[in-house]
Amino acid sequence: MATLKPPTNTHRSSSSGPPKAPLKADSTATIADNVVFQGPYPVTIGAGTVIHPRAKFYTYEGPIVVGDGCIICEKAVIGAPPPSSSRSSSPQPSRDAESSPKESTTRISYFVTIGPSSIIEPGVHIHSSATIEALAIIRRGADIGSHAKVGSTCEITGRVGEWFVVWGSGPGMRRKRARGPKPMSPAVLDAARIAQTAIPAPAPAGKVIEDARLMVLQKEREVLGRMLVPVKKK
Amino acid sequence: MSRPFPYTFISCPCADTPVPDPARKRRSRESPQKQSPQKPAPRPSTSEGEKKGTTANEQRDEDDEDEQTFDPRSPRSDFSLYPPEQLLYCEECHQIKCSRCITEEIVSWYCPSCLFETPSSMVRGDGNRCGRNCFNCPVCTAPLAVSTIENATGNGTQQGPWVLSCAYCLWTTLDIGIKFDKPTNIRSQLQKMTDATPPAAFDRSRQASRTLDSLKHPLSSSASVEEHGNARERERDIEHPAPKEDPTAPPMGADAQFAALKNFYRAQIAETSNSPNDHLSSDFGFSSPGALNRLMSLYTSSSRLGGLYGGNKKAKSKPPVMREALTASEGLQIAPKNGEADIIARLASPDCGWEGVASLDQRKAQAPNARFVGDLLPLPVLLRTKRAKRCKSCKHILVKPETKPQSTRFRIRLIALSYIPLPTLCPLAFSSSSALPSMAPTPDLDSLSPLRPIHVLLTLKNHMFDPVRITLATPPVTPGRVATKVTVLSPQFEIGANSDVWDEALQGASATSSGDSKSAGLGQRGVPEAGKVWDKGRNWTTVVLEVVPGTLPGSSAEGGDGNPETTDEDVVAVAASRKDEDVLEIPVFVHMDWDADAQLDQQNLGKASKADDKVTRELAYWMVLGVGRIQASL
Repeated sequence: MATLKPPTNTHRSSSSGPPKAPLKADSTATIADNVVFQGPYPVTIGAGTVIHPRAKFYTYEGPIVVGDGCIICEKAVIGAPPPSSSRSSSPQPSRDAESSPKESTTRISYFVTIGPSSIIEPGVHIHSSATIEALAIIRRGADIGSHAKVGSTCEITGRVGEWFVVWGSGPGMRRKRARGPKPMSPAVLDAARIAQTAIPAPAPAGKVIEDARLMVLQKEREVLGRMLVPVKKK
Repeated sequence: MSRPFPYTFISCPCADTPVPDPARKRRSRESPQKQSPQKPAPRPSTSEGEKKGTTANEQRDEDDEDEQTFDPRSPRSDFSLYPPEQLLYCEECHQIKCSRCITEEIVSWYCPSCLFETPSSMVRGDGNRCGRNCFNCPVCTAPLAVSTIENATGNGTQQGPWVLSCAYCLWTTLDIGIKFDKPTNIRSQLQKMTDATPPAAFDRSRQASRTLDSLKHPLSSSASVEEHGNARERERDIEHPAPKEDPTAPPMGADAQFAALKNFYRAQIAETSNSPNDHLSSDFGFSSPGALNRLMSLYTSSSRLGGLYGGNKKAKSKPPVMREALTASEGLQIAPKNGEADIIARLASPDCGWEGVASLDQRKAQAPNARFVGDLLPLPVLLRTKRAKRCKSCKHILVKPETKPQSTRFRIRLIALSYIPLPTLCPLAFSSSSALPSMAPTPDLDSLSPLRPIHVLLTLKNHMFDPVRITLATPPVTPGRVATKVTVLSPQFEIGANSDVWDEALQGASATSSGDSKSAGLGQRGVPEAGKVWDKGRNWTTVVLEVVPGTLPGSSAEGGDGNPETTDEDVVAVAASRKDEDVLEIPVFVHMDWDADAQLDQQNLGKASKADDKVTRELAYWMVLGVGRIQASL
């Protein structure tokens, strides 16, 4: 599934435009044509990752590392675009001088889904199997735990624990997902005790839901890859 | 008001009866429908109109009430002004109907999620919630989906446990340790799981009201025990012969407890009411007169005051006193010994934390003892209703939707805009070369300069199939402290019928051009003239209103200009400028009459009607044109 299409042939910003970030992508990654890679630092993309059109990677403040099996949806912005003033007037050296001392790597681990138009600022660490939904904003230095989910339009600063869901909008509300088997609802237990009926069999651990979700994601990615290949061959 | 300028509101005449009466009087006199013997009941508005008319004749000099202009600023008018599209029209009363002069009745209940209609007999039992598979997430209120666990992890066998899962916040019923065996009838499965009624409780409460026993309640100390003992102890009979109240009995579920309490207090009210045959008291509780009697007699008989009300009180037995629930089977629930401490300990424990505590919003729809996220149960979707609307005065149906939830059609829908012309307002823009050079090319409606005349175009669009004659009337000066002068340049005009569009198109090119002449006509027509309609189309007519915005009290324009209308006596009250006083709203009285086809019932007695079965109908109402906001200074 060698569907790598690095945007080397789409040099719309060849001479005077912003610097193109050095891209180190796995051969099995699927990268759309008009993904923007800008900045002095490199971008690393793992195997099986799908990057949708018009996603933007800005590496002015540090390298970006995307792990295996991620999905980065369209118009997602990873990293921060350069300040507009310096972009127009003085292109490269001044900015490098500014940002190099506090170089911050943006890490996106395995099987992360990043929704459309979401913003991941530099220095963010997103752990494996996390989900960032559409229009979410992950501020600088945030840390999203594994299997966490950030709902759409949420804005995260700081840390989101493992298996946590941030929902609502803005800072949002948080809740911890069931990972292991959970105690049965007290309403059911009371009912069983009062009605003198048997307590229903214990439910499986909440983890199965997450496993199922990841499996579906995996399938989706495979199908997408299969759909894309014939197009590329033409 | 909250709408962007310019806006138009129509006043429903229900709020204030003194809508100018000449129109009403005439309507009641001329409209032959009013004399129809089939409708002998006089409409209240009509009779009132007549009455008002006579009083007005008597007191010509002080007919303020009748000729009172509608004041858009009066606090009452907030309740009578509606956007035109929200109003209905009653064909029987020939009157505009707002949401306050209609009654609603529920046509059907349905679940908005599965669009299944719930029979009205089941709505109450289901607690106004969908009885099928529709649930909302107790955490985030998103709809829950039924999904299988096995299917996702293994191969698609469609077997195995099922869960409800929220796609948004990833809550599943596994979070509360619940799974379902079948993908259908989740509600009943859940109900079975959480049904906390003790096995025999239902029978017990049933029998309680039937059998009589002589066992005395240990705590009954009322003097009337002897007389009312039998009745009193009806509900006690089963408890004591049955296994003694188990003090360690587990607490009931909230539903069972509520049912027990309800049964208990219903029995109590029935027994302690003065007239045992009074079934009202058991049904309606304290709201019935019997219950009130009983309450009153509590005071009179238990004190010495009882003697004041005559000697026969003594002969009468003391009324029984209601007691409270005392046993668990009656619904009494004793708080656990260290319940509070347990809850606090749980709150403080690291695995609960802030996230583990249910928020107020989440607890609102849950059982009263749900404190933690782990206590939340999935919520069946609340049902919605389709409602028919009736006129309050004549019970005529105004709106009747299709019963089927899937259909958005209406069987009957008498919206007012099919009967009254739709008013729209727009400012008239002048080029600088026009005759009024002082005017801004496009007046900014959010900041109108005081004392500078502007012209606004009022377009009335007729949706009836008969041409309509319109008479507009405005007070020369708007009511309120900001006196704006308003002149309708052509107060009387006609609007064409809402005929077929094709007819008009076939009439030739001239007609089509006149339809579009609204924008093109600005250049040709130039200056608005008094007595002339500005523009006219197939079923619409545009007239010009000349508006001279008044000055705000206390504004800089006031002193210099010295406008006699604006600087009247309430200049003194300048300091406390009221809210939204700068909003320029013009009350306009619309009187319309048209020749309608006579209805069938009039044809029979149609002597009063005109030839070719035409009846003249009239309608009159106030509307309010929100033109803009007046600037504080010139």
